[in-house]
Amino acid sequence: MKWRLPRFFQRTESALWLNSELLVVDLELTGLDPNSHEIVSIAWVLIKNGRIELEQAQHKLNCDVKQLAQSPVYHGIGEHQLVQSGEHLERIIKSFGEELASKSLVCHNASLDWGFLQKYMNKFGVAVTPAHIIDTLKIEKNKLLRSQTYLAQDQLTLAACRSRYGLPTYQNHNALSDALATAELLLAHVSHLDRQESIKLRNLVY
Amino acid sequence: MTHSQSVSPVVDVLDFVTKQLPFSELPPACAHFYVNHAKVVYITSLNQSELLVPTDRYLYLIRSGVFDLVNTAGEVVTRLGEGDYFGYPSLLTGEEIKNHLEVQTSGLVFLLPQQDFDFLRREYLKFEQHFVRAHKKRLLSSHYQERGRAWPEHKISALMGKSAVTIEPSARIVDAAKLMQNAGVSSVIVTEKGELSGIITDRDLRNRVLAAELAPSASVAQIMTPNPKFIFENNRAFSALHLMLKHNIHHLPVLNEERVPLGMVTSTDLLRQQKHDPVQLIGQIYKAHSHQEVIRLAMEIPALLRGFSNTVEDISFIGTLLSGLTDALTSRLTELFIQQAGEPPCSFCWICFGSQAREEQTLHSDQDNGLVFSNAILDHQRDYFARLGAYVSGHLISCGIKACPGGIMASNAQCRGTVDEWLLRYEQWVHTPTPQAMLNSKIFFDRRFIYGDQALYQSLNAGLSTLRQQELFFAAMATDISTNSVPIGLFMQFKLERDKHKHRYLDLKIRGVAIVNDLVRLYALKCGINKANTQMRLAALKECGVLSKEDIYNLQDCWRFLTQLRFKVQIEAPELPPNCINPELLSSLERHQLKEAFHLIKQAQQACVFKFARGSL
Repeated sequence: MKWRLPRFFQRTESALWLNSELLVVDLELTGLDPNSHEIVSIAWVLIKNGRIELEQAQHKLNCDVKQLAQSPVYHGIGEHQLVQSGEHLERIIKSFGEELASKSLVCHNASLDWGFLQKYMNKFGVAVTPAHIIDTLKIEKNKLLRSQTYLAQDQLTLAACRSRYGLPTYQNHNALSDALATAELLLAHVSHLDRQESIKLRNLVY
Repeated sequence: MTHSQSVSPVVDVLDFVTKQLPFSELPPACAHFYVNHAKVVYITSLNQSELLVPTDRYLYLIRSGVFDLVNTAGEVVTRLGEGDYFGYPSLLTGEEIKNHLEVQTSGLVFLLPQQDFDFLRREYLKFEQHFVRAHKKRLLSSHYQERGRAWPEHKISALMGKSAVTIEPSARIVDAAKLMQNAGVSSVIVTEKGELSGIITDRDLRNRVLAAELAPSASVAQIMTPNPKFIFENNRAFSALHLMLKHNIHHLPVLNEERVPLGMVTSTDLLRQQKHDPVQLIGQIYKAHSHQEVIRLAMEIPALLRGFSNTVEDISFIGTLLSGLTDALTSRLTELFIQQAGEPPCSFCWICFGSQAREEQTLHSDQDNGLVFSNAILDHQRDYFARLGAYVSGHLISCGIKACPGGIMASNAQCRGTVDEWLLRYEQWVHTPTPQAMLNSKIFFDRRFIYGDQALYQSLNAGLSTLRQQELFFAAMATDISTNSVPIGLFMQFKLERDKHKHRYLDLKIRGVAIVNDLVRLYALKCGINKANTQMRLAALKECGVLSKEDIYNLQDCWRFLTQLRFKVQIEAPELPPNCINPELLSSLERHQLKEAFHLIKQAQQACVFKFARGSL
């Protein structure tokens, strides 16, 4: 049961899903701790008016990575590749900041990605806050908890969530594929909620 | 994975798109362009009306999910799944999207905006071709309309220059002459209350006025040719020429469907269009003085047709031409027989069956013809027609049209008879649907008038129209049709046959064209359509409502596509049995279309069984 706020409170939060722009972001990292680990690559995909715009998709590699350690096992990106086609993280974070301005942020497990992003945005003096932060993992978790009490660890991975909506399996594992995969998952979530025109971004934030 | 550029397309999407036609046949840059310009939506029954707005034009490509494409009448046109496209008809034609989607399983769909679709169309010919040909699954039809047709296929309306010059029958001859002078024409249409009642030509002014010393003040009605032959604006130039040559006339009034005169088409108009082609041969056949001359002219047919097949875009038109030639041969031989043997003892007419009736004759087709005579015939008069049948059939064989192995020729007593006798034969096939009767029905229900007393043919048709109520017969026909399966398997694989030389092939005639012919015949019989040509039957079926417009278009295109392919391989791969192809030699696009055609035929077969043979299967 959701509590309805008085109408005048809602005004600032009434952005409609169909009218908004969302930036779906995925990071490849060297580990899980923002203080000791680094960003290897950032990819983002734009959702505008309920549609994913592949034209706006970006995939950036960070050439400043100091310590890849064991992480290439997960993301498959080697040092050579980073040096050859990477950009400086400062530039990446700044262009990301420009993209994010006046948009909402979408991630699968936002606390992790947003933690890293915040750290570097502070470091490089990029002061942008997204209108909303939407987490597809939380949406899915909430949905599942409504029908079951116990959740297994692997039920909330991106692939497991997608398979519940009949979304195709992606073979390639990189930031861009995962950003698109997350964006598609969000479309599926939204589509199963209600008529699109009545959905507000607020409904997607848990 | 390499990321040599800052904007690299999503590899998974690229992988998927690269596997789809037409991208699989195009340079990788084409799929790259697609992926970098596409949008992605997730369509459910809840949101489809919001995401799929009819005025937004996109090329839709299904990534996951299952959707039914439904037309305005609420009928499912086709089921779409992974890798299927939709929306291209409106991209190509600029019209609004007419069909809508019904979501069976929600899923992802890629959208390519109109301007990006247009870009790919301009850049890649194969891309353009793929969608033009796939347009509304109408396989080749849109492709057809873009090309100019050979002149015998042109509509009369396209050849007719000036608008109708008309005069009342009560007008004076001198007024008619002045009218013709002012309009600069050699003939004038005489109309009474807006309807065609006669024509006057330059020649009439000479022969019936000057030479007959008639006063120029006499009425037009006195010199006009009353009830002249005429042609409709939608007929083909070929039909006009055939009519002129057959009746030795040079002017044909052109009427619209409401029989309002629109103008005149003259033999000069037509001759201006033609250079060297077999149509002239028909004229020579109608003027031949002996059966030897007829046979000599017939010998020119194969050579002339070979030259023709390169110039006529729609190769299936050859079927019409060959049937026209065979009609001419039959008619002229009959006239020659009458010159020798004297006038016939009673009224009669020639009819043809099978491929000649359907106007899809090939050079390998054999004779299928018969004679109908008046019920009033006396027994001893029958001998005249036995001789006529033997004379014409015999000489047709000499002309290169083989004898029918099944004996369906007027030289056979079984193929001669009075109207009542013919009706009795038809009745037997309809009432006792044995396999042999089914076979006969397939041949004899495709029939066409060739020569003689048309009223006899009309009374035969009138008698046959009462057979329409025989449900059992239709059920048997439908069951019979369903026993002949299209050569594709469960997973849309071709099922090939082998001959003794181990050639692997598909029989396009028996397993394709013939099934369409059978289906269309059944529906045409049900609706009482007295036409034999499959395309004409389909056109007429549009008014009957037993088949949806979409189904009719599909059958038309399947038939045309298969016929075209059949003629093409007959010329290109002579080592295979006639009408057969090896699908491995086709282009990927042709294979794709062929599968689509077979698939549509299969659906039509199933629908037909369901409609007519419910309960009996």
